[in-house]
Amino acid sequence: MRASPSWRQDAPAALVVFLVAVPLCLGIALASGAPLFSGIIAGIVGGIVVGLLSDSELMVSGPAAGLTVIVLGAITRLGAFESFLAAVVLAGALQMLLSVLRAGVIGYYFPTAVIKGMLAAIGLLLILKQIPHAIGYDADTMGDESFRQASGETTFTAIASALEQMQWGALLVALITLPLLFLWGRGPLRAAKAFPAPLAVVLVGIGMNKLFTLFAPALTIAETHLVRIPTPASLGEFFGQFTTPDFSAMLQPAVWHVAVVLAVVASLESLLSLQATDEMDPLRREASTDRELLAQGAGNVVSGLIGGLPVTGVIVRSATNIAAGGRTRWSAILHGVMLLVAALLFAPLLNTIPLAALAAVLIHVGYKLASPALFQSVVHKGRTYAIPFFATIAAILLTDLLRGILIGLAVGVTVILRDQLESPPFTEVSSPGAVLKRLQLHDNVNFLHKTALTQMLEKLAPGSRIEVDARHTRRIDPDVLEVIHRFSETALARDIDFRLVGVPARGSLLPR
Amino acid sequence: MEAYKTLITNNKAWAAEMIATDPDFFTRTEGGQEPHFLMIGCSDSRVPLEKMTGALPGEMFVHRNIGNQVWSTDLNLLSVLAYAVNVLDVPHVIVCGHSHCGALKAAMGPETNGVVDHWLSDIRSTIRWHADELDAIPDAKDRLARLSDLNVLQQVGILSRTPLIRDAWARGKRPVLHGWVYDIANGLIHSVVDAVDSEAIAEELLPHN
Repeated sequence: MRASPSWRQDAPAALVVFLVAVPLCLGIALASGAPLFSGIIAGIVGGIVVGLLSDSELMVSGPAAGLTVIVLGAITRLGAFESFLAAVVLAGALQMLLSVLRAGVIGYYFPTAVIKGMLAAIGLLLILKQIPHAIGYDADTMGDESFRQASGETTFTAIASALEQMQWGALLVALITLPLLFLWGRGPLRAAKAFPAPLAVVLVGIGMNKLFTLFAPALTIAETHLVRIPTPASLGEFFGQFTTPDFSAMLQPAVWHVAVVLAVVASLESLLSLQATDEMDPLRREASTDRELLAQGAGNVVSGLIGGLPVTGVIVRSATNIAAGGRTRWSAILHGVMLLVAALLFAPLLNTIPLAALAAVLIHVGYKLASPALFQSVVHKGRTYAIPFFATIAAILLTDLLRGILIGLAVGVTVILRDQLESPPFTEVSSPGAVLKRLQLHDNVNFLHKTALTQMLEKLAPGSRIEVDARHTRRIDPDVLEVIHRFSETALARDIDFRLVGVPARGSLLPR
Repeated sequence: MEAYKTLITNNKAWAAEMIATDPDFFTRTEGGQEPHFLMIGCSDSRVPLEKMTGALPGEMFVHRNIGNQVWSTDLNLLSVLAYAVNVLDVPHVIVCGHSHCGALKAAMGPETNGVVDHWLSDIRSTIRWHADELDAIPDAKDRLARLSDLNVLQQVGILSRTPLIRDAWARGKRPVLHGWVYDIANGLIHSVVDAVDSEAIAEELLPHN
């Protein structure tokens, strides 16, 4: 790995991802009931450690909204944050073990429709969830992805509340920056294309707030609606924010329980994010899933050791990275370095960024993820693709990311199974109207085909002539074979001329 | 009455007779055909394929040409065969020759017959392949009778080697091939080759040239 020649794309992308990551890291830490700085640590480790080890060029890792519920419960249950950190280290080790066991293959089994549905749902969530932030209402933390929020509101009531409590200054920032993002690099703004739009938007946000303070103090955006990164007064105080795990807690079975849950959920979320990132990669690169588990495991070991939240691959930051033009792993790594340097040196400067500007950036990313063109293409792909896609979106919007994906996966698998159940395992090769109906069995006939085949045979009228040709079949399920042979025995009594060609004898365990 | 008009009159009588014996006969055959036999016979007017076998309408699929020839390049015959085997699923294909065949007689003689000579060329080949056997038969009538058998055997052999039949046999012992000769002198059929339903039996019973 040498310094990338594509730093011209990677460096500005890293800056944008970093700016988006700061409030997300802090928001997730807050929602998890963990020290705020633990979110920043997870962001640093996710960027640098996972970025260096992962096979993915574009995926960004860090603290994940999908884990907040688990983390919050675990910290409460274990009683001490230090015990929880031990569980994080353990979870990391387990993930590395999963990698050695090549458990990454399950990543290849997520149906594309579900992943696309997840991306679209996240896009819609970003738009809906960020609207309150864009207009200055922050009761919910940045990065929350569940329908029922910690504040007791749902996604939609939060928007309604926000409308009542909006800050005019924040609204103005959002109203100016959002169109800017959509128009950037087009028409009169064509010349500005080389400069990353999200960065410009952040600068515009900071500038507008400065102008408000100077000329219209009433519009000044409240501090609660600005980035709030902990500001260390000295180097000692900075390092004081790092905590170390209490390994004696490993004697408690509860720590192991938490570690296993974290390892499984974090691995699933990372693999999903990896598939989603590969899906979005303009260069169509595909990353190794086993290698990803190793990188994520190492990330969690390191994050746990120095007092950080668990990390996973995260889709919003990865999508932002891609939208901002990131090309190689160096954008993810650099974003981690920037988090570290910023936490150390630039906290006061970062704390002048209005959340409304960052919300505008995320709404724009959300629009790209859930573009109308995507929905159109899905509808064109037909029923078996559209059903899991929309089911995933609905489930994620109404529950949360993880539960929504599980529901989407269940729907996806059901649709695939139904499709298999309904599709007969043969092709009719005789011409229409032929007296002899010739059915060529497919290459691979499995137990799912039993229903369709049985139903077809039961529907045969007396007097019909059928030929079942298995000469091109390499594998045939014993149950299906039994159905064919049993029908063959009763065919004469039903006045059906039933001929078998190349059908293996009954009971042959491995036909051919 | 002119002779051809008799045909129309006869037809009316025949249709009426059919209905009289079986009122549903024509409505039944309207629905489609599931014949049991494909008969490849000669065009000779003295060989009434259906009448001599008592086959009813719907029972026999028929192809006729001069000398009941099977040419593996004859699109007409191949279409009939393909339809009979792949669509109608006929269990039996019969090549039926007959005694006193003008085509065989012409092929044995030296005279030329214009365009028909092209069609007779394969019969001439058959005669050459069996020249020793045929030349040994002193009586011309007996020689022609033997050639009728040899010709049918030859046609069944060609039939057995068509990809159509080979493919059908690969799927099952069907259709079964038969070779017959009909004797114009007494109206009786005798079998030349019977029950050819696989490549193995074809190899055993049929000539290789």
